[in-house]
Amino acid sequence: MESMFEFLFKYRPLIFERGDFMFSAPWPIYLAAVAGVAFVVPTLLLYSRARGKSRPIDRGVLSVLRTLVLALILFSLFRPVLMLSTVVPQKNFLGILIDDSRSMRLADVNGAPRSSWIQEHFGVEDSRMLRGLADRFILRFFRFSSSAERIDDVSTLEFAGDKTDLGRALSRARQELASVPLAGLVLLTDGADNTHKSLEEPLLALRARSVPVYTVGLGQQKFPRDIEVSRVETPRSVLQGASLVVDVTVTQTGYSGTSVDLIVEDDGRIVNIQRIELPREGEVATVRIPFKATEPGPRIFGFRIVPLDGEVVTENNEQEALIVVEDHREKILYFEGEPRWEIGFLRRAVRDDANLEVTLLTRTADNKFYRILFDDPDEELVGGFPSTREELFGYRGLVIGSVEASFFTLDQLRMIADFVSQRGGGLLMLGGRRAFAEGGYAGTPIADVLPVILDESDPDSGFLAEIQVDVTPAGRTHPITQIAETIEESAKRWKDLPPLMTVNRITRVKPGATTLLKGEGPGISDQVVLAYQRYGRGKSLVLPVRDVWAWQMRTPLEDMTHETFWRQLLRWVIAGVPNRVRVLPVADRATLGEPIELIGEVEDDTYLKVNNTSVVARVTAPSGVVDSIVMDWNVDRDGEYRATFVPREEGLHKVEVSALEGGEVLASDASYVQVGDSRREYFGSEMQETTLRRIAEETGGRFYTPASVSTLPEDISFTESGTTVIERRDLWDMPVIFMLLVVLISVEWSYRRMRGLV
Amino acid sequence: MKRLIVLLLLLVVTAPLEAQRRRRRDRDRVEDSLGNVEYGHEFTFVRLQYTPAFGPSWNPGWRHDYPYAERNFAKIVEAVSYVEPYLGGSNILRLDDPELFKYPLAYLSEPGYWTMNEAEADGLRNYLLKGGFLIVDDFGEWDWQNFELQMSRALPELRPMRMDMRHAIFNSFFDIRDIEFPYSYRGVAEFWGYFEDNDTKKRLIAIVNYKTDIGEFWEFSDTGFVPIDLTNEAYKLGVNYLMYAMLH
Repeated sequence: MESMFEFLFKYRPLIFERGDFMFSAPWPIYLAAVAGVAFVVPTLLLYSRARGKSRPIDRGVLSVLRTLVLALILFSLFRPVLMLSTVVPQKNFLGILIDDSRSMRLADVNGAPRSSWIQEHFGVEDSRMLRGLADRFILRFFRFSSSAERIDDVSTLEFAGDKTDLGRALSRARQELASVPLAGLVLLTDGADNTHKSLEEPLLALRARSVPVYTVGLGQQKFPRDIEVSRVETPRSVLQGASLVVDVTVTQTGYSGTSVDLIVEDDGRIVNIQRIELPREGEVATVRIPFKATEPGPRIFGFRIVPLDGEVVTENNEQEALIVVEDHREKILYFEGEPRWEIGFLRRAVRDDANLEVTLLTRTADNKFYRILFDDPDEELVGGFPSTREELFGYRGLVIGSVEASFFTLDQLRMIADFVSQRGGGLLMLGGRRAFAEGGYAGTPIADVLPVILDESDPDSGFLAEIQVDVTPAGRTHPITQIAETIEESAKRWKDLPPLMTVNRITRVKPGATTLLKGEGPGISDQVVLAYQRYGRGKSLVLPVRDVWAWQMRTPLEDMTHETFWRQLLRWVIAGVPNRVRVLPVADRATLGEPIELIGEVEDDTYLKVNNTSVVARVTAPSGVVDSIVMDWNVDRDGEYRATFVPREEGLHKVEVSALEGGEVLASDASYVQVGDSRREYFGSEMQETTLRRIAEETGGRFYTPASVSTLPEDISFTESGTTVIERRDLWDMPVIFMLLVVLISVEWSYRRMRGLV
Repeated sequence: MKRLIVLLLLLVVTAPLEAQRRRRRDRDRVEDSLGNVEYGHEFTFVRLQYTPAFGPSWNPGWRHDYPYAERNFAKIVEAVSYVEPYLGGSNILRLDDPELFKYPLAYLSEPGYWTMNEAEADGLRNYLLKGGFLIVDDFGEWDWQNFELQMSRALPELRPMRMDMRHAIFNSFFDIRDIEFPYSYRGVAEFWGYFEDNDTKKRLIAIVNYKTDIGEFWEFSDTGFVPIDLTNEAYKLGVNYLMYAMLH
């Protein structure tokens, strides 16, 4: 198409895009009008007076045709030109940015690595491309991956970078060439940026300096055959023995409908295998796969699909996730308003769970409480239910049983709501005659927190129903409700469990809440049995039944459903509950020498943000070398502190952040960062034409592929950046003008012949 | 010597009990028609029925003190605590009845006459190991051998262990300070327990009221035939047993 255009109009479209059109006749432009009148008016008069066999319409058609012929001749006589700004040879610099990341090793075009095209055209001095550019510009080469720097010899590139940071590369080249006349930048890359950073800022800076970027996209825009485990969503930390259900995102091309095994490994040990069917072309499949985190400490979990024959990239068949498996006790306060069977059975269900510490406070009679504690029995809960935020916020989870709302003071009710929203704790309310609407909770601050809508209850209604519990679609794959090895077995198992009793009629959940278990019974079809919602920083759950213990007493002795359910439920209640001090590495993986940003958040014992205190990060390298880094308060965000460290060795680094007061550690938190080789370069590694086009278009450059890049040296020379001169290109001799003249005269002649006017 | 004097005095005071036993036979016949109640309340008293080894079929040991003992006990539980007991009746169930597993506390009377078939032995084992709690009451020295034999059929790995004041069950609601509980013709009560893994620090799954009969005190608590102080202690023990079973 472009060659046809060039044949007709003499120049390539780019010349017309870049040039300014004007007439360059040596006489003034008003003469054009005079000449037009002098030629056209007599022509029209002559045609209008002519008679003979002609009709008015014939005269009209012939007048128009003749006028067009005259207009074309006049157009050419006035010498139309394009004024182009072109660079002065060897007076301008050109930055050539070469992607040095691993994805350039992919051999997805004719079996040759992407990097081979770069070496062929830019790594050899006498290549046509390099000569074409070197004749016009002073060349400066840059390599980039996670960082960018000047290089002198392209042939020495190893294409081993672990990351592609286009924004950093563009900014670095712009800054380095800021003091010289810069004609533009050439970006040789697949465009597969994996930093997830916006390009807005670097492109804005380039636009401001009028630096066009010419992008050359290397590699295939779409692989013919490939499977990619593109994303895995895992929590940063879990309690030892936790049941996890992880979302794994899988995409593919060329293998629609094929069944493959998705394998989960814990530091190399297979913990689950699930058969999945690959999605259709262009679709994304999200697979939920359950497994248990049994070994304590920082663990690398792998999620992989065994490569199939013919895959272009096999390295993207596996994703890894760093999960810290915590092995310590988490405190939960279980407050009951009346002695009942659920208490003992719940406690027994979780007593062998070394990571759960359920402290029990039961009101056995008026002003009479029974405590079962783990530590500090002389002081903990001696005054009954906590009356201060400090005391309540010391727990991570709160279970409220059958106790009426009026038992609590208004301040305590607000405190419980704050426990969820401000402290980020987990709240679970159990069913009972004094719970929910029956306990007078409608209209209280706790009602706002709960995921269900409490209707006004008639205390005398005596609602009592036996319901068969079943799992909802959301519950089928939720970690709380996984009571068998596989999702299918678990769903089947729910249908076989004994029925439960409820005295709380609850059928409606709030928008945003999720129902995991529902119940049916005589005349009841929509009883909520287990539901949750996020509320502020925490979460709330409801379990409006009163005898979950039936799953213990009325199932076979060896059946562990009851224990499994309570453990998973309570573990989920406290999962992700924040500490007073939190450390958040921006990424859990990094490469050697790559700066790692640390964010620490600090709160006091009532979970209010603490500003401008002393916060220190201790980074322990695998060799045992410890770096202490003072973290600076980020004045833009309350309670947030930041620091950066650069790893000097590979392996697992422990990052411990502590808040200090007078040299004493008030609170601390730890996290981990894995430093070493990364496979991220192989994910989303197809050539990203959209990104590269955007970079080119927003900066005034142009996008090329290896097939269209031959005109690059000439194209870049038509620029207004750098040291330029104005060049004039004639248009009067465009073939299209002469072709039009021939066509118009031929049409006129044919018309006359047809009408017998010759 | 002092203990003997106390026992003699008690014998005099509680002499009317024997006469009361005769009256009770008539009342039991009437109450037989009560029948079991439907599941649905937090606490419903369950009395275990078994086939007695010997004795009169019209007044088997498992039924002694029925139904007034459980009725009165339920009333006291409701009066002193926040437990929600069912006041309108109670249940009589056999150990091999699946319904038993809806009620985590069961009461067994006069185990000296107790027999079990295999299904019942399995039922008792499952009941206790899953989380059920058993109160054994109303038997004396010559009954112990049969009781221990029957228990060993259900739980051969466990053995009864003598309990003392320090156990949590004696403080789970009422703070009981003395468990040397005198009982008319059987002397001073002894409390034995069956513990998970024979470990007294673990859960108590059955409490054995040996040489006493707290059910009898419950039964006659509204008649004036038994001393109030001893009746109070019997109720305290019962309420504590229930609390322990529910909370532990």
